[in-house]
Amino acid sequence: MTSKDECSTTDTNQASRESTNMSQDIVSSVGNSVIQPSGKVFKSTKARSSNKLTVVLRSIWQRGEGKFALIVLALWVAVSLVSLVWTPQSLWATDGYHVWAKPSAAHWLGTDGTGADVFSWLMAGARTNLFIAILAVVFAGALGILLMGAMVSRNSALSNVSVVAVDALISIPTALIALILAVPMGASVAVIIIACGIGYGLNLARIARPQALLAANSDYVASSLSYGASGFSVMLHHILPNAMPTIMVQLSLSAGTAVLAESGLTYLGVGVPSGVPSWGHSLATSVKFINVYPLTVLWPGLIVTVVVVALNVFGDVLRDAIDPVTNPELREV
Amino acid sequence: MPTNSGAYGENDATDSKATGNNENETAANVAGSSANVSDNATNTGSTGANANHDAEAKNTGSTDETLNAHVKGTSVGNVSGGTGGHGKKKGWTWAIVAAVVVVALIAAFVVIRNNRKASIAPAQVHTADSVTIGLKLAPTNLDIRNQSGSSLDQVLVGNVYEGLVARDSQNKVVPGLAKSWEKSADGMSYTFHLNRGMNFSNGDKLDASDVAWSINELVAKHYHDSEALMNFKSVTATDADTVKLDLTAPYANLLWELACRPGLVFDKNANYDMKTQAVGSGPYTVAKFVPNDSITLKANPKYWGTHKAATSTIVLRYFGDDNAAVNALKSGDVQVLAPVTENLAEPFVKDNANYRVAAGDDTDKFVLAMNSKGAKTSDLRVRQAIRYAIDHKQLIASRGGADKPLGGPIPSLDPGYQDLTGLYPHNVEKAKALMKEAGYTPDHPLELRLTYANTYGTELGDQLRSQLKPIGIDLKVNVVEFSTWLQDVLKNKDYDLSMVDHNESHDFSQWTQDSYYYNYSNQKVKDYYNQAMAASSDSQRDALLAKAARVVSEDAPADWLFNYRITTAMKSGVSGFPLNLNQTLLPLYNVRYMTQVK
Repeated sequence: MTSKDECSTTDTNQASRESTNMSQDIVSSVGNSVIQPSGKVFKSTKARSSNKLTVVLRSIWQRGEGKFALIVLALWVAVSLVSLVWTPQSLWATDGYHVWAKPSAAHWLGTDGTGADVFSWLMAGARTNLFIAILAVVFAGALGILLMGAMVSRNSALSNVSVVAVDALISIPTALIALILAVPMGASVAVIIIACGIGYGLNLARIARPQALLAANSDYVASSLSYGASGFSVMLHHILPNAMPTIMVQLSLSAGTAVLAESGLTYLGVGVPSGVPSWGHSLATSVKFINVYPLTVLWPGLIVTVVVVALNVFGDVLRDAIDPVTNPELREV
Repeated sequence: MPTNSGAYGENDATDSKATGNNENETAANVAGSSANVSDNATNTGSTGANANHDAEAKNTGSTDETLNAHVKGTSVGNVSGGTGGHGKKKGWTWAIVAAVVVVALIAAFVVIRNNRKASIAPAQVHTADSVTIGLKLAPTNLDIRNQSGSSLDQVLVGNVYEGLVARDSQNKVVPGLAKSWEKSADGMSYTFHLNRGMNFSNGDKLDASDVAWSINELVAKHYHDSEALMNFKSVTATDADTVKLDLTAPYANLLWELACRPGLVFDKNANYDMKTQAVGSGPYTVAKFVPNDSITLKANPKYWGTHKAATSTIVLRYFGDDNAAVNALKSGDVQVLAPVTENLAEPFVKDNANYRVAAGDDTDKFVLAMNSKGAKTSDLRVRQAIRYAIDHKQLIASRGGADKPLGGPIPSLDPGYQDLTGLYPHNVEKAKALMKEAGYTPDHPLELRLTYANTYGTELGDQLRSQLKPIGIDLKVNVVEFSTWLQDVLKNKDYDLSMVDHNESHDFSQWTQDSYYYNYSNQKVKDYYNQAMAASSDSQRDALLAKAARVVSEDAPADWLFNYRITTAMKSGVSGFPLNLNQTLLPLYNVRYMTQVK
């Protein structure tokens, strides 16, 4: 990426700040763009009046895989919320006389090894996995941005040490971090969140660093500094916005990996504890019987797959939608 | 495909290989198409869908690559073109790909299931000269004098080493090396009359001096289980065929203990490495020992007795993973599997033309211990309520139905058994009333921790939590590593509820030890037990033990969830394989595998 592109990024950024109060037309413009054939959207003059988030969401929605990702993610959130107040059967209604039952009217996806309703457990599992994914991403994001800041710091001692430290720490597998954490903490949701947060945060910092470094060495940062801007202010207004597309994509992928990690760590016995519904729990309790009752493994496996694919696709589409270089519409905002 | 390790006659082997190959190809195809899904779902290698991993190499990635190419294609197109024009088409492609994957998966399972119907044309019967048996727990070495673990008893006792006396499939003492014995009136002196013409597998003669030497060595060097010979005073060989054993006080379990490790007779003149070799007087010798993997037994050509080996080679293979074990039986790598999880054995139950599944009695007691000195469980009403609340029949049904209800500490194969299931029948109302009396209701529940090892699966904990919820107990289930259980529960007694399978036979004494993790102490139980051990006749001993067991059960220091019975699955054609007690006592001399050859 050339420094000219960098300029345009910051420019649009400032422009967007100026135009945030012009958001009355959001609803109508979204409505228009959805109905219109996708090719013509970018020429629509109304796009000018919408804000950044709307443009990004609309750009994602315009692509087939983006639609798929948005629908799956929205469903995930909706099911999680519903499961807080309602599931078809109580999670604790076990029935030893009807274990491993086939799908029926009472049990839409059958029952598990304790005779509990698989569908209800998967519904309730959605909220645990959502919780884990969100917190892991927040933690990874905070850690990653902090480390990225340190790595591009003007203090060469700090930046050198942090580069070496990140490179060294990144070699520790996430699963190992989780296994170590589980020794004092036991199996718990916190183990997954912290392990994923650390693992993905380090990754994030390393991947975002080149982008941040480009911005940090640019002329506009130099001029900002010569006007007396503080390091923190430069970080906030120039470096972070430039690295944001990369960070967002990386975080979206991390959310998918966190869902996978939950399944894996729960299977290893250091993840979600017994009695807490999660997709990993549903997988781990039924996987032993895959030869005999394959369906009970298929359902959670399928859900995890679809959600992870959706998150990965979302990350990919998000990169194109959030970057003003690849999304010309964003430059017009 | 693994070779059939000589389990079949030649004709049969080629035949089974041919059909086996077909099966494998289908399996590979199926695994290939499902691999995409399983790989997506399990980058961390977590789900068992990966069981098919070795087969997946052929077909992997075809769908994955398309997906990747597809995603790349769209992003590139969008960057250059700047318009999301292909949106709808991509959506359809996605939907189709997803649908194809789902259909492929379902088709895969159907194909696998239907593929099981291989037919064998009947012809003449042929007895295989080798049988392979799949077991679960592997011994780390063969040193039966020092190494603990029931897996060693299982392999060696009765097969390679023989004891002064033996036990039968009902856990009763029967003649072994000694053909008969007498007990003195005071119960303190035993005289054993040995068989004649006995010898070890190395050709050495076996006589009374070997017997006396073996038992004296055991006591002097404190070999494993030496403490089981309680009140031991001395053992001497009065002549070549007679052994006299004296006690300092009567001990009613002496003969049974002599049928286990303490009574084993070793060759005093032989010099060999007990960790990897074995010289005994039994019908088999150890031909090959691979730690944690397999043991090959060959018929002992110099065997002296009546239990001559029916099959010349028996291979014992150990499977830590239940699914690997089931697959080994399906593929014909093993002809017998013991134990097999009952729910996993269902395909074999259905295919009763080719397989036989049966359960045998055992002394495994699934004990839900309730810390008698715990802060919350010291209240008798709470412990009683828990016993009333648990629906044992439902627990057993969910496990497949082979296990037996057990109302007290003594199982049916042990002396002193009595049906105590009537003491605390399933009665939720009574349980609720007791909990209310103790000050707890479903709205103000009592929080209890249940700690147990992850080897028992999560189902029991989940079921207990559900069953105890309505009476006002909020059960927190901690499924931990076995080592953690040993440390927290057995050693530190830091627990509310604990569950473990106490598989030992004749283990009632644990209820008389104040220091044991139950934290249980009742003088009446100790008195009954001591009287039972000093009893002069078996019937007197059994009556006293039954009394003691009743007192223990009434005090409710634990709930006995069920008496676990071992499920064994075998190829039809296998005969003579013991079902009862086969995790500790597995006499193999009578095992035969009859196959039909074209």
